[in-house]
Amino acid sequence: MSDDLENRLTQALKPVAPREEFSARLLERVAAEARPQTATPKSRPRRTMPTWWLPAGLAASLLLAVGVRHHAAESQERLAGLAARQQVFAALALTNQKLDLAVRTVQSESRAAP
Amino acid sequence: MKTSWRSIGVVSLLLAGSLPGLVRAAAEPRLALPEFKDLAGKATESVVITMDPSLLGMAARFMDSSNAEDAAAIAVIKGLQGIYVRSFTFDRDDVYRPADVDAIRRQLADPAWKRVVETHSKKTHADVDIYLMTDGDKVRGLALIASEPRSLTIVNIVGAIDLDKLRKLEGQFGLPKIDIDSSKN
Repeated sequence: MSDDLENRLTQALKPVAPREEFSARLLERVAAEARPQTATPKSRPRRTMPTWWLPAGLAASLLLAVGVRHHAAESQERLAGLAARQQVFAALALTNQKLDLAVRTVQSESRAAP
Repeated sequence: MKTSWRSIGVVSLLLAGSLPGLVRAAAEPRLALPEFKDLAGKATESVVITMDPSLLGMAARFMDSSNAEDAAAIAVIKGLQGIYVRSFTFDRDDVYRPADVDAIRRQLADPAWKRVVETHSKKTHADVDIYLMTDGDKVRGLALIASEPRSLTIVNIVGAIDLDKLRKLEGQFGLPKIDIDSSKN
C-alpha cells in the first residue's frame, strides 16, 4: 500500500522536460517585461521641477545671507556708535569737572588772600 | 691748504651735530600717554578713554542734533581730532607718586605748550595744571593734569577745543551743576 503510494508520488514528482513552446513563450515574456523599463521614460515622462528653481533658490539664499549679515553689521556699528557717544560724554564731563575744580580753587584762594 | 680742509671738516662736523636740533619735529598736540597699568591695578575706579578721529566721527553720527545735550556735545567735538583720558580714583591717599606723571610733564615742557592755569588748593591739596598748545589765536590742543590725594586725572584733547563751549556743558550729561561761587575749597 505504502509502496504503491510512494511509486505514484515518485512518478508524479519526477522531473519532466518542458515542451518546446514553453521555452519560446518564456523568452518572449521575459523580453516583453524587460521592454517597458526602457520604454517608460518615453511613454510616460517623469514630473520634473521647473528649470528656474535652482538659480532662484540660490539667489534667495544669497539675498537672505547678505541681509542677515548686513543687519548684524548694522547692529554692531550702532552699538559701537552708541558706546563712542557715551565715551565722548564721559570724557567731556570729566574734563569739565576738573576745569571746575581749577576755577573753584582760583576763586577760593583769591578770596583767602589778604 | 691742509688747514683749510681741516676747518671745513670741523665745520661740517659741527653742522652735522646741530642738525637734529634744526630739523627737530614740531611738537604734536597729541601726548604719548602711558598705559598706567600699575595705577589701574591699584585704583578702585579707572577711566581710560581713547577717541581717535574715526571714533569721534562715529560718536557724532550717533548724536541727535535736535537733542540739546547732543547738540552741545557736537558743537564741542566739531574740529577735534582726539580725546584721550586717563583717570584713576583710589580708596586711600597718596597711592600714586608725582613721578608717575613725569613722562607727561616732560612732553609738556616743550615750548609749544603753555601752562595757562596752575592751581593748588591748600585745603584739599588738589593741583590742576592746564596747558594749551596754540597756533596764533587757534588752539591746537589742551592738556590737563588734575592730581588730588585720592585721584589722578590726565586729559589730552587734540584739535581746536573751544573752552567756552566746553564750560557751557556744565550741568549736562546727568552731572549736577557745580556752583563755582560756593566756597567748597
